[in-house]
Amino acid sequence: MQSARTAYPVTWRIMDALEAFAATVWPANWTRAVPYLMLAPAVLLVGLLVLGLIQIGDTSLRTLDTSTFLLSEEYTLANYQRAFTEPLFAAVAARSLLGALIVTAITLVFAFPYAYVMVRTSSPALRKFLLIALFLPFFIGQVVRAYGWLIILGNQGMVNEALGLVGVEPMRLLYNYPAVLFGLVQYMLPFAVLMVAPALTAIPEELEAAAGSLGADWLRTFFHVVLPLARPGLTGAGLVVVTLSLTDFAMPAILGGGSQDFIANAIYDQFFRTSDQGLGATLALMLVAVGSLLVGLIFTLFGAGTLAMGRARE
Amino acid sequence: MHDATTDAGAREAQGSQPVAVSVLDVSMVYDGVHAVRDASFDLPRGRFLTILGPSGSGKTTLLRLIAGFQKPTKGDILINGTSVNAVPPHKRSIGMVFQRLALFPHMTAAENVAFPLKMRRTDARKIPERVDRYLDLVKLGGFGQRRIHELSGGQQQRVAIARALVFEPDLLLLDEPLAALDRKLREEMQLEFRRIQRELGVTTINVTHDQREALVVSDEIIVMDHGVIQQKAEPSRTYRSPRNAFVASFIGVTNFIAGDARSLAGDTVVVGVGESEWTGVIGDKACPLNVGAPVRGAIRAEQIRIARDGRALEGAGSRHAGIVSDAIFEGERVVYEVRLPDLGDTLMRVFDHGPHDTIAVGDEVYLGWNPDDVLVFDDEAGHP
Ligand SMILES: Nc1ncnc2c1ncn2[C@@H]1O[C@H](COP(=O)(O)OP(=O)(O)OP(=O)(O)O)[C@@H](O)[C@H]1O
Ligand SMILES: [Mg+2]
Repeated sequence: MQSARTAYPVTWRIMDALEAFAATVWPANWTRAVPYLMLAPAVLLVGLLVLGLIQIGDTSLRTLDTSTFLLSEEYTLANYQRAFTEPLFAAVAARSLLGALIVTAITLVFAFPYAYVMVRTSSPALRKFLLIALFLPFFIGQVVRAYGWLIILGNQGMVNEALGLVGVEPMRLLYNYPAVLFGLVQYMLPFAVLMVAPALTAIPEELEAAAGSLGADWLRTFFHVVLPLARPGLTGAGLVVVTLSLTDFAMPAILGGGSQDFIANAIYDQFFRTSDQGLGATLALMLVAVGSLLVGLIFTLFGAGTLAMGRARE
Repeated sequence: MHDATTDAGAREAQGSQPVAVSVLDVSMVYDGVHAVRDASFDLPRGRFLTILGPSGSGKTTLLRLIAGFQKPTKGDILINGTSVNAVPPHKRSIGMVFQRLALFPHMTAAENVAFPLKMRRTDARKIPERVDRYLDLVKLGGFGQRRIHELSGGQQQRVAIARALVFEPDLLLLDEPLAALDRKLREEMQLEFRRIQRELGVTTINVTHDQREALVVSDEIIVMDHGVIQQKAEPSRTYRSPRNAFVASFIGVTNFIAGDARSLAGDTVVVGVGESEWTGVIGDKACPLNVGAPVRGAIRAEQIRIARDGRALEGAGSRHAGIVSDAIFEGERVVYEVRLPDLGDTLMRVFDHGPHDTIAVGDEVYLGWNPDDVLVFDDEAGHP
């Protein structure tokens, strides 16, 4: 009895039942359609997105009539002209782009050693600790975390209190560019570590020992062996971090306090404050364009990294 | 059987060369488990040493200690006379070929070979010529621009060897690099190793659990078991005069006969099994036997003759009747398993190179051997 149960586990019986059920509701001669059917939800979703984009494209070509608060009937490029000429939008775009690049660079520099220690440490306790420390922030949403920083970095916050103890005047730590970048780095770090770690796991430890016996100290081992082999992971992580930072809304809104808007904040303002949907749509399309250009640039410079499709070929 | 001449010859050869590696009383303990226990040996410059032993016997650990990837729990390792305990791997002049090769997949074959030169800050103008010379040495001239994954297993092997040799290290370490190859390629590479090693004269320590490889390529063999060095000697001596039953069982096809020592006369031991007796000689002169102690006699399969007719074995000092229980055809020879009722039903393996169609399973046969070929060991020392 015992052996029979282990040789044919309950999960198999459940699957048998499911298969029998599937066979009655889905005749065998339909099965060739199954793969396409399973693709359908994803295709539908992407299709809706494309429809949305077309709609936005249409809206971006109409201006707001300030007397009626309705969009104009005829098409015009006025919104694009505004987006390109008004210094405010240029400043927002430059701030977001520069911010995304800085955040990506800093995040990767921080994520790499973290992932390396997590993967290579011989202590299971340390590995567990690093993993938990990595996942905990995931359970606390981005907005809550941003508010947490408000409390910690505020004028009466913990940091200023501590500085006060050693006789340093309270400083304004919030509502400036560095605060937004700081919040973004802190938010992106787990994503980057999780994308870099598998790439490091894939590098056999023996390669590093080999480099050592061939005369490379740890620094040269790092630059000549570990870094090149980890490149796919770094590229993948960089792509994710750069797009998430470029399009982020919460960190600039909360830690920037309205003075450090990124593109997403500007779009939000057009849609929900000034109700200028035409200009909002224009900015949204430009964000899509800038993001795509940036990703395309990274693809051509570094390859697609771990996001490359098909079978990897080194 | 005691080849005193080769022994003395070896000592002379050792005397003429300074010691390249000294391992002094080295132990390595992992959470209470001795991976290596009190290992000591000297290796003269230019010699090819093979460490042979079963899985888990501590071979890799000993090699990693010499390479410097780990620090011994106890003891000292000297390279060219100076202790290297405080020297990190990249400052030791050691080339190592790893079990899984550890070639750099993001570099070409030539770049792999150039890597140690670059790391050692060799003049950049000299690197291409050196790389070519060593790729030629391992017969890979013209393959330099290939990526590692574009090379066959045996070619990758050669790249790994070239990479370990190109910076002309004091010492070459090989950790079972041939284990993954098929037999034919492995045997080819074994001879290649020996050729290259002799051509360059580099001191080499090779790890393997392939006894044939150890016998073929080495100047000296260390047999290890359970982290302990069982014997260090040149191949012929290891084969002909194993120091204990473990070494005897690990190398060659060896038969064991059990019993109790009944009487001793000089080197000769008479051993009893129930009603009957057999005779052998003391295997380890340094370890005297006691009358009454349980012992085991070891005799190589090729030292036993087999015949259907007992009269054919007149010259043999020992002769026993038996029943063939199995016949294994191995191509160039047939291996017979013969049960000997008067020696406590001991199963003996015997080779027959002659015309093989005369003896069948179930036949009554006679086995004959020279009692001087039976090495008697204390049963307590060195279990296989
Ligand atoms: N890092 C380690 N931690 C704990 N125990 C280890 C470690 N490395 C090796 N050991 C143990 O030490 C013993 C010797 O291992 P070693 O790798 O030296 O064996 P080996 O002779 O090379 O075996 P094989 O022929 O299978 O490669 C084994 O019992 C092994 O389990
Ligand atoms: Mg090993």
